[in-house]
Amino acid sequence: MVNNSNGDRGQHWEAQLRKGCLEMAILASLWQTRLYGLEILRELSEKSELDIAEGTLYPILSRLKSEGLLESEWVEAEAGHPRKYYWLTTPGRRRAREMAGAWSEFAGKLALLLRPVVGGKER
Amino acid sequence: MTSAQLMDARIENYLSRLETAMRGISARDQEDILREIRAHILDSVAGSANGEAAVDRVLGLLGTPEELAGRYRTECQLTRASRSFSPWLLLSTCWGWAKLGVKGTLAFLVALFGYATALGLTVAVFLKPFMPSKIGTWVGPEGFVAVGVPAHPEVMHELLGNYFVPVMAVVAFGFAIGTTHALRWMIRKRLPRQHSEMTKSGAISLEASSIAISKR
Repeated sequence: MVNNSNGDRGQHWEAQLRKGCLEMAILASLWQTRLYGLEILRELSEKSELDIAEGTLYPILSRLKSEGLLESEWVEAEAGHPRKYYWLTTPGRRRAREMAGAWSEFAGKLALLLRPVVGGKER
Repeated sequence: MTSAQLMDARIENYLSRLETAMRGISARDQEDILREIRAHILDSVAGSANGEAAVDRVLGLLGTPEELAGRYRTECQLTRASRSFSPWLLLSTCWGWAKLGVKGTLAFLVALFGYATALGLTVAVFLKPFMPSKIGTWVGPEGFVAVGVPAHPEVMHELLGNYFVPVMAVVAFGFAIGTTHALRWMIRKRLPRQHSEMTKSGAISLEASSIAISKR
């Protein structure tokens, strides 16, 4: 029972941490090339094990577009139906770079603090 | 009904419920969203050995049509409202936001109080020329100040006289502008937009409900 509740709490903070990175991860997934929704999900899942529910991704894409960070276009596909491709606008690239910079700086500083914890050293 | 027809019927049913649930979103956006979600479902199902199970799975991951529409509405409206000066849009956005938590409820109360005060004062300003002896800023024996039609005119006297209209017009305008700016500020703070927010607390402050942790 005790183990169970600890497990839930563990998952909860992990979920929060992942969710917070979402916007940055979506922008980063589009850094190299234009992608449609399902490709973004696969990219995030394969490269960073960030599994987003599709019901979360699409509304965020829509917001990022309305904020001018993304642009989109419908492209006819062999599948028989068109797909909506997204790519980064200039402000979107700037935002992705800023976020990545802030994140790296934050993670780098935190790594120093975490080193003994990860190494399992006791006082 | 064949399996393929059953799948189609399920998808169409989902999309038609989504369309109904998207009231309030512009027709153009609605059409775009329906097209994108349809493409997503078809792409996700394509190539699956068990089509019906695949449809169930992808519809499950999308959430109910009502939940999905709610997410779109919240994401779109908050962004639009943060740039808007329209009291109606701000008020309706705060109403939607109020259903999501305490901060939203607070914003809605600020919106309601601010705009109701501005409206009440504006009505008083317009009625003043028609009811000059009744409408005013009334001070009672205990120093109580009220704007409007006094409950006990015999024990109260009017404070502003001829200045009532210009002073109250300015105060009403001030309330409307002040409320609008306060709401825009609250909504902007809620949007996970600036990276500075992320490094402070934003990275870990968003709702976690919609992420699937388990690996697919």
